[in-house]
Amino acid sequence: MSMAEGLQPDEFAATAARAVTACAGLGIREQAKNLAGDGLLGVIADEDVGGLALPLGFAVPVIAAAHSGLLGFPLLETILIGRLLQSSLTRLAAAIVSGEKLATIAWQGEAAAERDGGLLVLNGALARVPCAASADHLLVRMSGGAAALIPANAKGVVIEDAAGLDLTVPEHAVRLEAVEVPIGSILPPGTWDLLTSDANVLRAAAILGSAEACLALAQEHASTRRQFGHALSYNQAIRHALARQKLGLESIRHAITRSLSGDGGPVQRDAAFLAAATYGSSISEGALQIHGGMGFTWDVPVHRHLRRIRTLQAQGDASGLIGRFGRRYVSEVAPFAEAGA
Amino acid sequence: MSVLQAVSAQSIAGENFVGEAYRDAMHRWLNANLPGSFRSDSAAFASPTLQQSVAWEAAMYRAGLTGITWPQAYGGHGRSLREHLIANQEIGRLAMPESVNSIGKELAGPIILAVGTEEQKRRFLPAILEMRNIWCQGFSEPEAGSDLAGLRTRATRDGDGWRITGQKIWTSGAYRAHRCLVLARTGALEDRHRGLAMFAVPLDAKGVRVRTIKSIDGRESFCEVFFDEVEVAQADAIGAPDEGWAAAIRVLEIERATNRMYRAWRFENELRHLISACKADAALSAMVADRHYAVRLGEVAVEIEVLKAHVETAVEALARGDKIGARGSLAKLYWSESHQRFAALAIELLSQASLPQIQAIKVARQRFEAIYLQARAETIYAGTTEIQLGIIADRILQLSRGK
Repeated sequence: MSMAEGLQPDEFAATAARAVTACAGLGIREQAKNLAGDGLLGVIADEDVGGLALPLGFAVPVIAAAHSGLLGFPLLETILIGRLLQSSLTRLAAAIVSGEKLATIAWQGEAAAERDGGLLVLNGALARVPCAASADHLLVRMSGGAAALIPANAKGVVIEDAAGLDLTVPEHAVRLEAVEVPIGSILPPGTWDLLTSDANVLRAAAILGSAEACLALAQEHASTRRQFGHALSYNQAIRHALARQKLGLESIRHAITRSLSGDGGPVQRDAAFLAAATYGSSISEGALQIHGGMGFTWDVPVHRHLRRIRTLQAQGDASGLIGRFGRRYVSEVAPFAEAGA
Repeated sequence: MSVLQAVSAQSIAGENFVGEAYRDAMHRWLNANLPGSFRSDSAAFASPTLQQSVAWEAAMYRAGLTGITWPQAYGGHGRSLREHLIANQEIGRLAMPESVNSIGKELAGPIILAVGTEEQKRRFLPAILEMRNIWCQGFSEPEAGSDLAGLRTRATRDGDGWRITGQKIWTSGAYRAHRCLVLARTGALEDRHRGLAMFAVPLDAKGVRVRTIKSIDGRESFCEVFFDEVEVAQADAIGAPDEGWAAAIRVLEIERATNRMYRAWRFENELRHLISACKADAALSAMVADRHYAVRLGEVAVEIEVLKAHVETAVEALARGDKIGARGSLAKLYWSESHQRFAALAIELLSQASLPQIQAIKVARQRFEAIYLQARAETIYAGTTEIQLGIIADRILQLSRGK
């Protein structure tokens, strides 16, 4: 963690914003090189694989800036995979951190595995795989909580376009039809849970970035658009709607901060993502509403953020997670003792 | 007073506990000394009398659990705001009664510390902590609720002192208070924010009349207070005459940002109590295991986590020396609305309990039906939801009002 000394996560926000701007109009592999050049792909990966070895909190402003700037690159997945593979598949991790190889994650579905000598044979239907059509490797969940890394061009890997809201980082569906992978490609049980716990913090950061952009756009519109002889922001209904969006935005920001503090654990990480999913949706939908008819046009970018937020919400399975979150809470409380507390 | 006989005479206030040791000490003291009958999540609960509450809060002070950040010169414990948060987290984790002197400890006291004279600090502050003086807050008036700048209670010069005439309303706990922190007008009504002054008016002074108002929960806790040519000494004027509005704003910012800092942890105590009651009941235990209620309870739990994040972020900002300013409105708006949603869910769940009702459900219904009703006030007092939204729009977003 020596790199962290003297550095503050917020200092990465400006670097990330500049890097995102520089990526505009570039192909995905050129973007990878650019982002790697700024150290952003390996922000939390070990120095051995070319990373900066910084804590997860340093990836938060990077991801937020990427999403605020509508970066068309699977940055969240890349940052997580680079670190995930740094011990077991060091060379591949280094190639991902340097931008030479592209990797992504199948967030929905899992693969069933059968052993065949020194190989595993994988079958399954996977979905919500950002930029799979451009990736060299896919990380997929296995039954039992392990994960497998699969070359995207392996025999039996079928990548298909998928319906999805996100225009900026489009999702694909993947079918695995008797895909053979070496045993060494399997990451141990527990890998997936650790991955999703970190992913939840970064998804919250992604939603924060998009929600922040939406509120800024709505605020700008409300201040400049005139109706009935006044700026829209003259009207209490508009002022209060924007104030509620601000409350939601700060709630996401504080929840992320808490999830990364000394008190932060799995509960706080899940809570940060769940709060972001709820407030992020309402902020982006509310920002669209403030724009009136203009909000429904292709050119006003609020819909791009709305699409991304809804996609992130689904990739993190917010609706399933809130049920598990509630059940976990309920299970930890003992029944009331009749003798009195 | 018999319920308090168990209160440890041993003070932990003077010990030099640090960090988690401080938390442990607070936790142990509270668990050892809070009477079972004070715990609203207990079958033994019986609402404490005023005398019992006063004795309990005085014991909490001696143990180091109130006056935490106040200077030792004025009876405080001279600790940091972070330690104040730790103690409040432990206070919140137990279902203990609300303070009967929170106005003194969390409004009047901090204001006197900020703008009071040395003599006032020495006279008022230890008496608040020792529970010898209970305070109430005389801001709202019949014609000036949210719009305090329109208040009409007048303070006029009378020799060396002042004479106050007017009426206050929604004054919580005035019937039991010794002093009222009164905001009064020294200038003309048209002056709005200018010419407002603050006074520590003794409620046993000639010309003061207190009338209780019955509230929706059946209690008579808030009051109207009438001032008829009440003589107030200059020594009881808090801050300079034209400082009244600035002091009032400071009070309200403090009130919104830091008062009852334990709320998120108390809400968690309430949620755990609700779930424990449901799990003791045949019908409800099946319901809370079902996805529908698991999701809704999960939503409450997430909101509690977010509220903790708001509080902890505010404490860290204040501890760094930042001014809290309008940011207190974010936390106030958040906790008041989320608590209402939670309370509504609680009574909805408990109303579906099996018959005949078991003791656990009776205890929980008593607590949550009271919370549900009291929570309706939470989006009204300390600045209504609409006022908070206005503050966020004006002062945080700085939205243009221009034509």
